[in-house]
Amino acid sequence: MADVMADPNSLQKKEETKKKQKRYPNKNYALKKRLPPRPVNGDNVLFITKKTNFKAQLDKCCDLLTRGEKEIILHGLGAAIQRCCNLALQLEILFSGTCQIEVNTGSVDLVDDLEPLTDELDFGSQIRHSSSIHIRIFRTAMLGSNQN
Amino acid sequence: MEAAEFDATLGGTEQLPFSANSLKFAASRSIEIAAMTESIQRTNHNKLIFQNLPVHMRRRVMSHNSKRLPIKLREAHTKQFKNNGFAVKQKRPSRKYRRRPQNLLDEYNRRQKRHKWLETHIWHAKRFHMIEKWGYRLAYAPCDKAFRACYRATSAHCLLQDISYVTPIEINGPVDTIKELFSSITSPSCGLGLCAKAYIDGKREGLIHLYQSNTYPFGYIGKLNFIWVPHKCKKTLWLFVHPSQTQEIESILTNLIYSNKNYDPEITKKRRKSSGMDENVKIKIKAGIFNRFRLTGPNSHAVLTHSLKCVESAKIKNDDWAKSYDDLNLEEKDEYWESLSTLNSPSQLPPKIIIGLIVKDPRLSRPSKRTKAIIETDTSFDSNIVLNIPSYASSSPLWDLNIHEKLKKKIMSNGEFIQHLTKTKIVPGDINENDPVLQSIPIILIQRPGSQDSDYKKIGYGSGWDIIVPAGYGLPFWLTFKMFGGRSGGLRETENLAFEMGECYFPPDSAAGKLEEKRIENELKEKYFRLPPSKRVNYIKLGINSPFICPWDLLLKDWCEEHIYDFFVLRDRQLLNQIQDSIDRKKLMPEIENSNSCLIPVYLTLKSRGNLKRHALICLPEVTDASNIKTLFEPHHEDPNEKHRKQKRKEHLKELKKSRKNRVKLKKQGHASNVTKRTNEPSEYVKNMRQLWLPSKIDSVRFIGTRQVLGYLSMGALSFSEARSCGIGYVAYNALSELLKMEQNRVLVRNVSSRKYWLANIQTVKNV
Repeated sequence: MADVMADPNSLQKKEETKKKQKRYPNKNYALKKRLPPRPVNGDNVLFITKKTNFKAQLDKCCDLLTRGEKEIILHGLGAAIQRCCNLALQLEILFSGTCQIEVNTGSVDLVDDLEPLTDELDFGSQIRHSSSIHIRIFRTAMLGSNQN
Repeated sequence: MEAAEFDATLGGTEQLPFSANSLKFAASRSIEIAAMTESIQRTNHNKLIFQNLPVHMRRRVMSHNSKRLPIKLREAHTKQFKNNGFAVKQKRPSRKYRRRPQNLLDEYNRRQKRHKWLETHIWHAKRFHMIEKWGYRLAYAPCDKAFRACYRATSAHCLLQDISYVTPIEINGPVDTIKELFSSITSPSCGLGLCAKAYIDGKREGLIHLYQSNTYPFGYIGKLNFIWVPHKCKKTLWLFVHPSQTQEIESILTNLIYSNKNYDPEITKKRRKSSGMDENVKIKIKAGIFNRFRLTGPNSHAVLTHSLKCVESAKIKNDDWAKSYDDLNLEEKDEYWESLSTLNSPSQLPPKIIIGLIVKDPRLSRPSKRTKAIIETDTSFDSNIVLNIPSYASSSPLWDLNIHEKLKKKIMSNGEFIQHLTKTKIVPGDINENDPVLQSIPIILIQRPGSQDSDYKKIGYGSGWDIIVPAGYGLPFWLTFKMFGGRSGGLRETENLAFEMGECYFPPDSAAGKLEEKRIENELKEKYFRLPPSKRVNYIKLGINSPFICPWDLLLKDWCEEHIYDFFVLRDRQLLNQIQDSIDRKKLMPEIENSNSCLIPVYLTLKSRGNLKRHALICLPEVTDASNIKTLFEPHHEDPNEKHRKQKRKEHLKELKKSRKNRVKLKKQGHASNVTKRTNEPSEYVKNMRQLWLPSKIDSVRFIGTRQVLGYLSMGALSFSEARSCGIGYVAYNALSELLKMEQNRVLVRNVSSRKYWLANIQTVKNV
């Protein structure tokens, strides 16, 4: 593996093929995204996006944990993985050692629809893969009334 | 003691006889029997019945009001009183009771002659404000103020709407003739055509914009959904038309067919070989055969999977209507529907697919209490289910109109169903899921993808299902959906949903849109003039000359040199994308023909503060405006009519005083007073005053304020999905190119009742 990676020509070829894939979007189709499949929802489950305010997300996580939830689960997809990680680390600092983090990564199949722009073509679909992260934050030391 | 009658079996001396003669027995007891019967029949005549009641059961005035006596004594009491000559006073029933209709069903049918009722009308009438529109009596909004709840239903739960007022039109004929017919009334630049490969198989529902014959881009009528139904070797086209446009579309289609027929004799010489071309195209308008419900929101999928249970082939043999069908693919459809039941949201399915199912009566799967339908998900999601549509999924016998009669005959009404449940079962109320008495029902499901562009609106917002149900079954399905947690909405929710999704609702170039604008204008004007003069907003001082309607033709006339009679809204997708591109990059717009009468649909979002309302002005900013937006106000304008109004008012008051004096004088003298008839029409004075408040003759709109007017907002409100105030409006083409020439891509907006300008971001509307 190492010598293949070190070889500059093969690296360049990899980059070129990658670039070519992105450079010419199909003019006959319009790409329409579909909703990704959601894991089980619940009171203590949060789905993280990049669009919402960081502080709002952090406050929501804090509230859930201080209100007595034993654990919260954060899910993040694609570009939101970084936001998820940030949130988890900030929460760890905030709760200073009374909570622990368990991380799972995975990949999710995202389906896209190719809507035809001309009359002769039919709808198509393609599957993309996107990495996902599932962080479980649970409290280890519970005070007073929250104890079991 | 003396054991005189001691029985022998117990050790005594008396012997009991073996048998007893009943006649002898009765005879020796005759004295006692006589005494008892006399005491029963000969009652105590000293007291009345109610006086014989024990003390704790007596009530005040129970002699006059026999309802205060126990039920068993009431009859005897009234008889006593009647015998004594006291008239029994019947309480007159209330006025409402006396005026109620004799036959409720006749009354309902009489009311429906003016405006048609939907099947779920009575259910809606108890819970919604009803209005009359397009020949129907429709639910406008729920009686509880539920704006946010309905938004939350579309965003996270399930919103139910009854849209059975859309008219289905069936078109039979050869595909090529239909294609030719529609080629003159649709345009390929607005999207896929009627006979596109994607739609002609009948697997998906399509959308087209209709125009008057050969007048594209002018003469817009509206948009409609269509479904191709393949049947053996023929194809039928079903259109679903909004009732505001049905008449126009009907007249256009019939005109087209007749003009086609006229040309036929000339062409038949050439086309004699192909016999299919001479066939007539038949159009049938079938209002009222289907009920269509719209479910919006991610939970609508859960509601449907819980309410719709597929039927097995063993059961369908009992059904009358199914006897003419041999292959209905029931098992495969059942399997397919089961595999789809694990999805979270309808937006995970292929867009606009059509699924035809045959389901059990929804009353059998209805829960007894309102419960929220929740999907129990496995963690595994097989993306293959949602990639491909199986070939048998879209077929349904519902399109065949011959079975509708049979279906209607065998419907079990709700009363009969309840009788069946309570009287004929061993355990009353026990529901048997496979009850053979209730027939299975063919339905059609159509998926709506909602938003598919994450830059515009979040993906999957506004997604949902449409369900088409045969006539007569509206209420059972509706109630089952409600019991599974659907929130019902009306026309106001349709408007709000279109606004939240950023779609144009009744665009101003269609006849329906113009009528709607007129109606809103009249309503707002009436409301304005009902206010006392001191509470009216002085629009002249604010520098606004048409606060209640958007004067599109005047706007377009101002931005070009010529007089504009007809205008159109740009719907060409490619052009709209190019314009969006030029707005993003602040470069010049592409040139198009007819740009003088072109309006561009735009979506505005406010940058920082502010609140957008209807008919707000979209204005051209100056270069320095971005920095001093906080202090940007429209200066006060002069109101030259103020003096005139004051003078007129004084004169009018004097006149009134004079006429009053005259009347009083005449009355005193005993002359017959000249009574003028009261009409609802406002008098000359009122009309003149109204003109002075709001002059109706407007010449120019572009330069009324300090900033030039680019366009207007047709709808503006707080958008819950964006969490800021947004608006949908139209801008003149030339005006937008002017904006981009100045290398600006933000506009100023000013509400009709304010002098403050706010900055807004502008983009073209994605789904026109």
